[in-house]
Amino acid sequence: MAFLEVRDLVVAYGAIQAVRGVSFDVEEGQIVSLIGSNGAGKTTTLRTLSGLLRPVSGTVSFKGEQIQRLPAHEILGLGVAHSPEGRRLFARMSVEENLRLGAYTRKDEDGIVADIQRVYDLFPVLGERRQNKAGLFSGGEQQMLAIGRALMSRPKLLMLDEPSMGLSPIMTQLIFDTVKELRAEGTTVLLVEQNALAALGLSDQAYVIDLGRTTLSGTGAELLADPRVQEAYLGEGVGAE
Amino acid sequence: MSIFLSQIANGLMFGSLIALIAIGYTMVYGIITLINFAHGEIFMVGAYGGLATLTYWVPTAVVARWYFALPIALVAGALVSMLVAVAMERFAYRPLRNAPRLAPLITALGVSVALQEAVRVFYPGATAAIPFPPLFIQGAFVIPIGDGVVIRYTGILLIVVSLGLAFGLERFVERTRLGRAMRATSQDRDTARLMGIDPDRVIVLTFAIGGALAGVAGVLYGSYLNNINIDMGFQNGIFAFTAAVLGGIGNIRGAVVGGLVIGLVRALGGQYLPGGTAYDYVWIFVVLIIVLVFRPQGFFGESERVRA
Amino acid sequence: MSEVTSESASTTETAEAPVRTVPAAPPARHTGRLAGPLNALAPHAKIGMVVGGVLSIVGAYLAWSTFVLNEGAYPERATLTMFVEPFGVTGFRLHITLLGLATIVVALLRVPAKHRIVRGLGVGVTAVAVLNGLWITVEGGGLGAITASDGTVAFGSIVALVGGLVTVLSATAGGLEDKPVWEWKLAWWVEWILLLVVFVLILLLVAEVLTSGGQGGVVNPYAGVVFLSLLAALAGAFAALNASGLLTWVGEVSERHRVFSVVVLLLCALALPFTGAGTEYWMTVASNIGVYAATAIGLNIVVGLAGLLDLGYVAFLGIGAFVAANLSGAAASVIGIHVPFLLVMVISAVVAGIFGAIVGSPTLRVRGDYLAIVTLAFGEIFVRSAQNNIAGLTGGANAIPNIPQVALGSFQFNQSISLGPIQLPGGVMYYVAIVLLVAAVMLVFGNLKNSRLGRAWIAIREDEDAAAAMGIRTGPIKILAFLIGAMLAGFAGAFFAHKTAVVAYDSFRFLESVTLLAAVILGGMGTIPGAVLGASILFVLPEKLREFADYRLLLFGLALVLIMRFRPQGIIADKHRKAELAEDPEDAAKEAPGALPTEVK
Repeated sequence: MAFLEVRDLVVAYGAIQAVRGVSFDVEEGQIVSLIGSNGAGKTTTLRTLSGLLRPVSGTVSFKGEQIQRLPAHEILGLGVAHSPEGRRLFARMSVEENLRLGAYTRKDEDGIVADIQRVYDLFPVLGERRQNKAGLFSGGEQQMLAIGRALMSRPKLLMLDEPSMGLSPIMTQLIFDTVKELRAEGTTVLLVEQNALAALGLSDQAYVIDLGRTTLSGTGAELLADPRVQEAYLGEGVGAE
Repeated sequence: MSIFLSQIANGLMFGSLIALIAIGYTMVYGIITLINFAHGEIFMVGAYGGLATLTYWVPTAVVARWYFALPIALVAGALVSMLVAVAMERFAYRPLRNAPRLAPLITALGVSVALQEAVRVFYPGATAAIPFPPLFIQGAFVIPIGDGVVIRYTGILLIVVSLGLAFGLERFVERTRLGRAMRATSQDRDTARLMGIDPDRVIVLTFAIGGALAGVAGVLYGSYLNNINIDMGFQNGIFAFTAAVLGGIGNIRGAVVGGLVIGLVRALGGQYLPGGTAYDYVWIFVVLIIVLVFRPQGFFGESERVRA
Repeated sequence: MSEVTSESASTTETAEAPVRTVPAAPPARHTGRLAGPLNALAPHAKIGMVVGGVLSIVGAYLAWSTFVLNEGAYPERATLTMFVEPFGVTGFRLHITLLGLATIVVALLRVPAKHRIVRGLGVGVTAVAVLNGLWITVEGGGLGAITASDGTVAFGSIVALVGGLVTVLSATAGGLEDKPVWEWKLAWWVEWILLLVVFVLILLLVAEVLTSGGQGGVVNPYAGVVFLSLLAALAGAFAALNASGLLTWVGEVSERHRVFSVVVLLLCALALPFTGAGTEYWMTVASNIGVYAATAIGLNIVVGLAGLLDLGYVAFLGIGAFVAANLSGAAASVIGIHVPFLLVMVISAVVAGIFGAIVGSPTLRVRGDYLAIVTLAFGEIFVRSAQNNIAGLTGGANAIPNIPQVALGSFQFNQSISLGPIQLPGGVMYYVAIVLLVAAVMLVFGNLKNSRLGRAWIAIREDEDAAAAMGIRTGPIKILAFLIGAMLAGFAGAFFAHKTAVVAYDSFRFLESVTLLAAVILGGMGTIPGAVLGASILFVLPEKLREFADYRLLLFGLALVLIMRFRPQGIIADKHRKAELAEDPEDAAKEAPGALPTEVK
C-alpha cells in the first residue's frame, strides 16, 4: 500500500464532472507531479484530497486510512497540507500571522516559534519583513510565504498547486530548489504544475491528467522522453527556460 | 449650551448601547456575510432572560443590592442570549450554508418574528412593557455648566461596560489564536479550512460572542430605561445594523464609532431637527440610506470589502 | 395513443434518451436508518399497502373519542360528539374512506408510479389521523380521550394512523418510481371539456376549503380541525395525483389552450359568490385576500423577477391607500375633495409609482443585502411619518376613518344584489372588482415576464454583471421594476382604502412587508399563480385558526424558517428559476460541508 493512494476519483460541480476517474500513487519521500493542461482537473483533484470538495465516488487512502469523507481540518490533522492555487494568503494579516495560522492545529508554542524561524531561514526575505501585511509582497515572495505556511503544520505530505504560476524563471527555480530540499529532509511532495518541463525534471514519479482522467504515468524522466507528452505539454516555448 | 451637552451625553450613552449590539451584527456579517436580522431579538431575549433570573430565581434580598443583582443579571442575560444565538445558528442558518443568498436572509426574518412572538406568548406579562429593576447606583451628578448637565450614574455604567467589552473583544480578535482563526475565516473560508480551522466552530464562536454582548446590552438597556418590551429588539437592532454599516461592516472599532454616531444623531436630531423626538428614528434611517448609497464601505471599511 | 415516458434527468446518461418507458418498480434496496425494516418489507409491499388501506377505512368507522366532556358555557364547545358518532360518512371519515379506497385500488392495479401514488395517499391518511387525534387529545383532556379508558372503545385515530403509516412504509419499501410523463393529445374539444371540468372542480374545492368548518372561533369549536383535516386530506390526494403525473399533464393541456384556460379560470373565480362561499363574510375575506394577492404580485415583480429584495414594500400599498383616502371626500382628509374612484386608482398608482422610483433609485449603487436594508429603511420612514400624521395627510393614530363606499350611481359596492331569484350577498361587488383587478395585475405580470423587459429583469437577477456586459442598461431597468411593482401596490391600496373604509398607519408595518414577502416565497417566486396562492394561504389560515390567534405569528416565523430549509422554491416552482433560491439538492450534497458555492468554475 502506497503512502497516498487515489483510486477512480470522480468529482463534480453540480452536473459538471471536473474529475472523471483519476488514480495515482504517491510513495513516501518522493516528489510526485500531476501535469496536464488548464482545466484538466488537477486543482479539483488536490482540493478533493485536502477535503475542500467531496468526491462523487472513488477513494483516497493516506497511510492506509480512507480520508475522502473527512472534513478538511481533520485531513490536515493527519499530516496532509495543501498550498492552494493562487497562494490564497490572508492578505490583510502579517507574515508572522500567516505562519501562525499555518500552525493553527499545533499547541507547542516552542516548536511553533522554532518552525517560524526555520521558515525565515529558508526564505530570509520573509524574516526581514515579518510584520508586513502579506498582501504587499511580490508574487514570488507570496509563494514563499504560502509554502512556508503549509510547512508550519509539519506535514508528512505537502501538496503544492501551481507554485510557479506567475513567477519569473529565477523565482521558479528557487521554489523548485526548495521543493527538492524539502524532499531531502523527508517531506513527501505532491506537485501540480502546468510548467511540465520544470516539474518533470525534479519528479520521481509523474502522472498526466487529461480531461479529468489520468492517462499516462511514469518516472519524471520517462515522461520527459515520451513523444506524446512532448507534443502535448512540452511544445516549443512551454516551460522553456 | 447645557441642553446641547446633555444631548451629547444622552447620545453617547444610547450610542454605546447600540455599539454593543452592532458588534454582533458586524462580526456575523464579517464571517458569513449574513445580515442577521434576528440579532436585535437576541438583544431583547437577553433583557428578558436577565429579568426572569432576577424575578424568579434570585431572592429579593439579593436583588435589592445592586452589586449582587447587576453581575447576576448581566451574566444571566449574556448566557440566555448566547444560547439562543448558538441554537439559532445551529438549527436555522447552518443548514443553509450553501444555499443561495436570499434564503438565509429570509430565514433571519423568520427567526426574528418567531423569537419576538415566543417571548410575547410565553413570558408572563410580556404583551405589555414590563418594569425592569434598576441595577446600579441611582441618581446622577451635575456638571455645573450653564443650567447644569445632569449625568446619570447608570449612563456612566453603560458607557464603561460597553466600551470595556468592545475593547476586550478587539484585543481578543487581534491577539489570540481563536481571534486569528476568526479573522482568517472571514477573509477566506476555504483557505482557513486548509489551515485546520473548522469554520463551523468559528462561526458558532462568533454567534456566541455576539449573542453574549447583545445579552449584556439587553440587561443594561432595561436597567437604563427601567422597562422593557418585546419591540425593543427590532428597532434597536436596525439602529445597530446601521451603526455596523456606518463603521464599515466586519470592523469592531467601526461598530463602536458607528454606534456612538447613531446615538448622537438620535439625540441631537430629536433636539434640533424639525419634528422633534417624534422623528428622531427617521433621521437615523436617513443616515443609513445616505451611507449605504454613498459610502457603503463605511468609515473604516476597506473598499475591497464593498459587497456585490 | 398513449405513451408513458419517464422524467428522470438526474444523470447525464438518461438525459440523452428523450423517450423511455417506465421501468418496472426498481428492486428495492434501501440504505439509511430504516434500511433493515424497509428491505424486509419490500417483497410484501403490495399486501402491506392493501392492509394499510383497509386499516385506514376501518379506523374511519370506529369511534375516535371516548367521552363527552362538558365544560364552559357552550355545550357544543366542550364536547367531542362529532368524533364519537361513528356512522356519519362526512368530514374526515369521508376523506379517510376515499383515501383508503384509492390506496387499495391503486395497490391492486398495474399503474405507473404506483408506490409513489400510494405513498401520497398514505401521507394524507396519516396527517388526518394525527391532526384529529391531537385535537381530541388536547380538547378532550389527555391521551385517555383516544383510548378505551371509560369503556368506550375509541381507537379510531390510532387505527387510522397505523393504517396510514403501514401504507407509507409499504409503499416506500416497494421502491419509489420516477414520476411518469403522459403525452396524450386529445381532440381540442375533448381537452376543452376536460379543462372546464377540472376548473369547475377547483372552484368547488376552493369554496369547500374556504367554508369548511364555518367561520371559526366561538361559532364552531371544530372549525380549526375540520379545516386542517380537509387540507391534510387534500394534500394527500394532491401528492398522489402529482405522483401519477396527471397534474403535470393537465398543466400541459391548459398550457396548450392558454387563452381558454385563462377565460374559464376568470369565470370560475367570478362564480365563487354562487357557491357555498357566497355570504357577506366570505366575500369580505376573499376581497381581502384579493388585495394582498394583487400587492404580492407587484412584489413578485421586484423580488421574483428582478431579484431585488424589498423589505418595505407594504409602504406602497399604504401610499396608495392614503392617497385614495385623502381624495375620497372623507371628513378626516385635509384635501376636502372627492375624485371619482377610477381616477383615484390611477392617481394612487402614479403617486405610489413615483415613490417606488425614489425607493428604487439606490439600486443604481447598492446591491443585494444592502439594498434590502435601504428598502427597509424607507419602509420604516414611511410608517414613522404616517404615525406622526405627516402634513396632516395620514391621520396619525386616529387614522382616516369613514371613507365612503365606492358607488356606481346610487348603488354602493357593499350592498347586496339580486339576480332574479338569486340573492347575492353584500360586498359581492367588491369581490368582483378585486377579481378583475387581480386578473388585470396577473395579465400585466404575465406579459411583463415574457417581454424584453422581463427577460432583462431575469438576466439581472441571475447575474447583474453579466447582464450589464450584454448591454442591458441595468440601472433604469431595475428602477422600472420598483416603479411598476409600486404602481400595482398603489392600485391595490386605493381599493383597500375604500373597501375597509379606514386607513391607519398600523396596517403598513414591517411585519406586513414580511408577510407579503412570505406569500411570494411560499407560493413560488417569479410565478404568476404563486403569489396568489401564497397570499391566499397566509390570509386564510389566520381566519380559520382563530383559536391559535395567539400563536399565529410564532408559527408564521417558524414556517418561514422551515420553508427556506425544505422547500425554498415555494409550492409552485418557477421552471426557469435556478440561481436565487431553487437549488438542486443533489449538487449541494456533493460539496463538502462548509464549502462555498462559489467554487464552480
